[in-house]
Amino acid sequence: MPHFSFLIVNFYLFIVLIYVLLILLFLTFIIILGFVIYRKKVASNKALWHQNIAPVILQAIFLEEDGGDRVEVTYKFKMLFQDPRFRRYAINELIKAKDNFSGSSASSLQTLYESLDLDGDSFRELHNPKWHIKAKGIQELGIMKQAKYRKEIFWLANNKHELVRNEAQCAMVSFFGFSGLSFLNVIEYPMSQWHQVQLLHKLNDVKPETFEALKTWMQSSNESVIVFAIKLATLYNCYGVYTNVVNCLKHPGVQVKISALEYLKQMPQEDTPDRIISNYYSENINYKLAVINALKDIGTEKQISFLVKELHNKNNDVKAAAANSLSVLHPLGHTFFKTYLLAEEKPWKEIFLQITHNRIA
Amino acid sequence: MKILVVEDDAIMLKTIELRLKKDGYDVITSEDGRDGLKKFEELAPDLIITDIMMPFLSGLEIVGAVKKWEGKETPIIVLSTLGQENVVLEAFRLGADDFITKPFSPKELSMRVKRYSLNSESI
Repeated sequence: MPHFSFLIVNFYLFIVLIYVLLILLFLTFIIILGFVIYRKKVASNKALWHQNIAPVILQAIFLEEDGGDRVEVTYKFKMLFQDPRFRRYAINELIKAKDNFSGSSASSLQTLYESLDLDGDSFRELHNPKWHIKAKGIQELGIMKQAKYRKEIFWLANNKHELVRNEAQCAMVSFFGFSGLSFLNVIEYPMSQWHQVQLLHKLNDVKPETFEALKTWMQSSNESVIVFAIKLATLYNCYGVYTNVVNCLKHPGVQVKISALEYLKQMPQEDTPDRIISNYYSENINYKLAVINALKDIGTEKQISFLVKELHNKNNDVKAAAANSLSVLHPLGHTFFKTYLLAEEKPWKEIFLQITHNRIA
Repeated sequence: MKILVVEDDAIMLKTIELRLKKDGYDVITSEDGRDGLKKFEELAPDLIITDIMMPFLSGLEIVGAVKKWEGKETPIIVLSTLGQENVVLEAFRLGADDFITKPFSPKELSMRVKRYSLNSESI
């Protein structure tokens, strides 16, 4: 009999398990159905929103050409516009369109964005606690050139989140060009190399009236600001800050020194080769290599003895770099190596062969 | 002149279509690369304007396929974004004839296309 009651208990357990399984299957089905219905609703909303925003954007793009003075919207559009999700969709489409078109089309799109008060929506994002939403809001205001929000955006240029800082800094430059770089006076966080490239690209076509600010930035406690200021001086061929850049050769940061070398290579003066060699022996290998390579472009016969000495540096990369620069500066050119006492010894033999081969090629 | 425009951004596609129709061209549109290539094979346009980054088949693949096509020579204009210089160079290597960098104005596109319509008239 115990065996029979055991069977009965198992049977009931089995029934309960079946019920639980069926309930779980049913719940899964409900969740999947709900998700499919939600996705369809979202797609249908997007289609409706697109149907309403596209003609308005197209009107703006062709506004000047069609001789209009403002974009007209339908009653249905105004009703839909009460929905913040539609407004968000409209902002995204306007930003995409503004990125794609230039000239009067771009101006009309900016005017449309303002006339629909969408700048208010973007501005509200700046106060969102989520950093990625903040960054998006700044980006939107930057692309749509909403300089009236410059005060709030300026302080975000020193935000703890890198992307927020980057967007705020790009926006300031979009609004004001070179003078938009005033955030360099206050930022504490470093600027990445990539972000510096982005800013330089934006400033490429801008011609500032004065470069006094560069001198201040080259004395910043933020090393990346000094590097960026030197890059700006290089970009604008700014001779007026030559002494300030030479002083940067004494900065403890290697990146600062190497950026200074790049500037000096581009804008050498008579004393430049001596200046860059002056602290050579106390520097690290990267700086030494940068100096020797720079001499290839700006060195004179006065530096030949220095380079011959560096042919005996214990580091083979330095030997090779010195040989390369010598092949340019020496009056005998690469044939100098044939007369060199140690020319048949390793590693000079391989180095000289490579340089000679490169010169002939 | 019949022009095929391949672009996955709906508003960009519509803008180009409207601009070219205003200029009097016959315009065929496509929202992805695969459909664009299919329309090229079926309808033999006189000019193709294509974006580069698209679903299913990229603009570069379209350029490559069209230039290998054993039929009439069809000029191709690619639409690129700033910073895509390497991609543009690759498009030229594959046989593209011209490029326009975004952002651009619809009038600029109009002037570029006019050059090809004058060429096709003289032929």
